[in-house]
Amino acid sequence: MKKNFFKRLYEYRELLKTNVKKDVRGKYKKSFFGFLWSFLNPLLQITVYAIVFPLILKNTQENYVIFLCTGLIPWTFFSITISRAAGCMIENGNILKKVYFPREIIPISLVTAEAFNFIISTIIILGFVIFGGLGITKYVIFYPIILIVQYLLVLALSFIISAVTVYFRDLQHFISVGLQLLFYGTPIVYSGETIPEAFKWIININPMSYIISAFRDIFYNQQMPDLISLGKLAIILIFACIVGYLIFNKLQKRFAEEL
Amino acid sequence: MQEKDLAIEVKNVYKTFNVYLDKANTIKERLLFLFSRNRREKREVLNDINLQIKKGEVVALIGTNGSGKSTLLKLMTKIIYPNKGSIETYGKLTSLLELGAGFHPDFSGRENIYFNASIFGLTKKEIDNRLEEIIDFSELRDFIDNPVRTYSSGMFMRLAFAVAINVDAEILLIDEILSVGDEHFQNKCFDKMRDLKKQGKTMVFVTHNMKAVTELCDRAVWLYKGKVKKDGETTEVVNEYIKTTA
Repeated sequence: MKKNFFKRLYEYRELLKTNVKKDVRGKYKKSFFGFLWSFLNPLLQITVYAIVFPLILKNTQENYVIFLCTGLIPWTFFSITISRAAGCMIENGNILKKVYFPREIIPISLVTAEAFNFIISTIIILGFVIFGGLGITKYVIFYPIILIVQYLLVLALSFIISAVTVYFRDLQHFISVGLQLLFYGTPIVYSGETIPEAFKWIININPMSYIISAFRDIFYNQQMPDLISLGKLAIILIFACIVGYLIFNKLQKRFAEEL
Repeated sequence: MQEKDLAIEVKNVYKTFNVYLDKANTIKERLLFLFSRNRREKREVLNDINLQIKKGEVVALIGTNGSGKSTLLKLMTKIIYPNKGSIETYGKLTSLLELGAGFHPDFSGRENIYFNASIFGLTKKEIDNRLEEIIDFSELRDFIDNPVRTYSSGMFMRLAFAVAINVDAEILLIDEILSVGDEHFQNKCFDKMRDLKKQGKTMVFVTHNMKAVTELCDRAVWLYKGKVKKDGETTEVVNEYIKTTA
């Protein structure tokens, strides 16, 4: 009597909800600035990059701060979730060993909580766009679509990473190095067009570059995002989520023994 | 036997654990272990177990330490999976293996009831409906809004037990927890178990308390070194078990 994925998820929706709530709320519960950190963190980061890159690298991008935050904030959603996914099973090891509940709840609630944090940080982008003089255009209606595409990407990776790390703890360290490299392999602090032809392939195979350029289109360039590439990416990512879940499901059987 | 009458079906189950004498978690260690593979030991815990438990049956698993009782119970809850064979359970299942897993010490008793019950797969509405009953059963009404870290260990266990027992599952798996709280609370737990038995719930116990076994269970399964040594009417199995261990 194997219940399918969605039915089981629906049955345990309360657990998913409390997990997400605890994650989003608990993050800054004991710090003095509390919820403000959701804004302060990326703002400080943007400030640093906005000073460093135009000064040192002679970046001539117009409205560089807006350019930067439209890339940096989606990237933060990506990198934080991936690095947390690497540790999430070990963190919850105690409870995984003692109680049954669908294991996929853990990565799913992690990704969902971080998606909420991302939505909150989007206020920063909006702030810069509005007060930076660009204003908001009708293209922002595509925001949810791009968000869903990124959600799928992060979810697929989180399924695989969270499960594999249980068996191979080194992955955590590989991930943190990999994320640092990927940061420069993604057009965040620079524009994808300025890349030399020889390195274009890195950006072409990097799903985050499509997502960031879509976010940039709706907020910074204020034009129609490339819906065809996004659509193709979405189809690939749905497939990736299924594969990721199957891998997760295969590996989760020995979680309690390995943790 | 008709499938609809069954609650738990264990078929030809084998379970071995890899016991790492020194576990290789990193690449360096992995590479080193390539040359010395013998640091791993296979320990056979369950060896060809077959068991059919009918709906409404109350079964005790007995046996000495290390005979595989708890492993069998963990397999039934699907915390771990067998190497060979299959285990099917029919109906909503709750396991009381480790009480209070997932309790968060900084949250209040009330919040922990919600959190713990949601791990058992209850929805908000279902928890709302049971909240009063859980608080009453735990006898912690005066403390329910205090953080759980201020509870004594007995209070903690009472709350955990109250949540688990009120989940309203059709199948209950209970591991050595009849020793919760003081005499008064233990008696209350016993009464609750009898009550659940009357309601036709299926229960599987792991315990060393033979008095509890004979009082509560219709059937006992004696595990010895990963095999079923004897399976039958409680007093008969228990008597023979006591004879060999005494």
